[in-house]
Amino acid sequence: MGIIAKNIGKKVGDPEVRILTDISFEVQDGDFVSLTGKSGSGKSTLLYILSSLDSPSEGSVQISGNDLGRMESEELYRFRNQQMGFVFQFHYLIAELTVLENVLMPTMKLNRQIELKPYAESLLEQFGLKDKMNRFPRQLSGGEEQRAAIARALIMKPKYLFADEPTGSLDSANGEKVMEIIQDANQKQGTTVILVTHDKDFASLAKKQIRLIDGKVADQSSS
Amino acid sequence: MAYVSVSGFFKGFQGYMVQQLIDNTAQIHIQARQDYLIDHELDQAFYHQDFMHVFWSPPPSGLLGYLEVQNPQSWFVRLAADQRVEAFSPLMTAPSLFTLAKTSVSANLIGCDPVQQARVTSIAKYMTEGKFADIAGGGNRVILGDELMKRLGASIDQTVLVTVGTLTAVPMKVVGRFFSGNRGSDLQAYGAINDVQRMNGTPNRVNEIAVRLKDYTQAALIADSWSLIAPEKIESWDQQNVNILSMMKMQTALRFTMIFAILLVAGFGIYNVLNMTVTQKRQDIAILRSMGYDTFDIVSLFFSQGMIVGVVGAFFGLICGYFFCRYLQTISFYPPNSSRMGETLHIALSAPIYVQATLFALLAASVASILPSRSAGKLTPIEIIRTGT
Repeated sequence: MGIIAKNIGKKVGDPEVRILTDISFEVQDGDFVSLTGKSGSGKSTLLYILSSLDSPSEGSVQISGNDLGRMESEELYRFRNQQMGFVFQFHYLIAELTVLENVLMPTMKLNRQIELKPYAESLLEQFGLKDKMNRFPRQLSGGEEQRAAIARALIMKPKYLFADEPTGSLDSANGEKVMEIIQDANQKQGTTVILVTHDKDFASLAKKQIRLIDGKVADQSSS
Repeated sequence: MAYVSVSGFFKGFQGYMVQQLIDNTAQIHIQARQDYLIDHELDQAFYHQDFMHVFWSPPPSGLLGYLEVQNPQSWFVRLAADQRVEAFSPLMTAPSLFTLAKTSVSANLIGCDPVQQARVTSIAKYMTEGKFADIAGGGNRVILGDELMKRLGASIDQTVLVTVGTLTAVPMKVVGRFFSGNRGSDLQAYGAINDVQRMNGTPNRVNEIAVRLKDYTQAALIADSWSLIAPEKIESWDQQNVNILSMMKMQTALRFTMIFAILLVAGFGIYNVLNMTVTQKRQDIAILRSMGYDTFDIVSLFFSQGMIVGVVGAFFGLICGYFFCRYLQTISFYPPNSSRMGETLHIALSAPIYVQATLFALLAASVASILPSRSAGKLTPIEIIRTGT
């Protein structure tokens, strides 16, 4: 089923400024897709539209056969909670909660924190954070914070992972570690990954690359 | 804390005042009715129906009624049989002139049965010299109020001359002194009822029956029901003290105004704290929304935060308020013209004050939490994530 983007356009502001124009593509389940382009090309906006955080001015997005524009808000929130994971450039961990509690945050929506706690611990162990799971975010390095954020994004075993410049604020060594984790999620768990990045090396890890120029798809390539 | 303290202060004061009113005098007064004569009230008595209009020159004036309670025995039987009545005391009050040497002071001489009177009012507790029961059995003995004693320059065991109306002065021995703190009450004297009836020339007559009830709050209701079946003037303690009770109502209104202002300030405090929190937690809200938390979840989260502030604030406020009230209870004060020592502020510590304070605190917290919680619920994640703030 995957993700189907049909003729997506986006206009913002007054007077209106067009950010995206007539974007169409398909992403198959289990794909790893990178969205690349210069700053202001509209790749983050496209990611947010694909992930339901933003809505398009024109066109439609279907995920797993569901038209995002036609879903009831409660249904959409539930879908987002259970099927989508997000990683942003900044980790957005909640400062007052421990690393483990942060990872378990999505599970609390449906009171599944007890059931999924062992999985959260195994994720943190897998990401090299087992001994730091009871620490607070301020006690972690930037790379560790971002790995914790990825663990939080994967805790509900989502079908789709949306990553917006996840390595943008990290050094190259930490950036590579983060990308390894994201690649693992795609290859071992079959999570569909949509990655926005400036980095050509990280973009080349994706099976499918979509390059945007001035809000339009300049080219799509598969490897 | 403010609610508990302010309410405790005002309710304590009002409770003390009411207690004084119901203890110091009777709760129901049954008195001989004497009404002011109005124009044309005697028209029919003089001219029956044979007139169109009577012109009086000058119009009749004066009092119409009786000087004594009519058929007091029937009242005694009725009151003795009434389950709502705790005690009653027949009284004969006579305006008198008290003379000692060359000093004369006019004051009321109240004739009573001291045993019954002590059951109806607190007079026996106010004795500073002698015992109230010392006037029992007659024998021309009198107990003077502190103010009357001072004005006469009298002391215990001295004999004063008491003149009732235009009758001959009767020597009476001072056997006691009382001090109630009320100057009007302390300018009175008590004697045995049979002594006063004899001095007044009205044997076996009474001009008032003082009644104490088991439930003083029913006084007005009972007084009204008795008024329907008797010619006497019957008034309850609250009907006789309408001014004081209306002042208390004003105080209650003032108390609620103060409390409203306090709650408003407290509510704004919670509102500001929560508003600041919403501003500071915009990023957390954004990430929660991206995780699938909906508007209701976010509103509930912040609303519960506000309520926690309210509950914790109410808890500590109640404790601080309680201890502050206990401290206020230790503060001594001396009423004007009082020789009594050791009076302290009367502060109410009743449970309803604490229950009301809790409810008001929770109400203020919930009202103050709604707006920030709603604004948190309306935040969209995209703007915050894009701008990073």
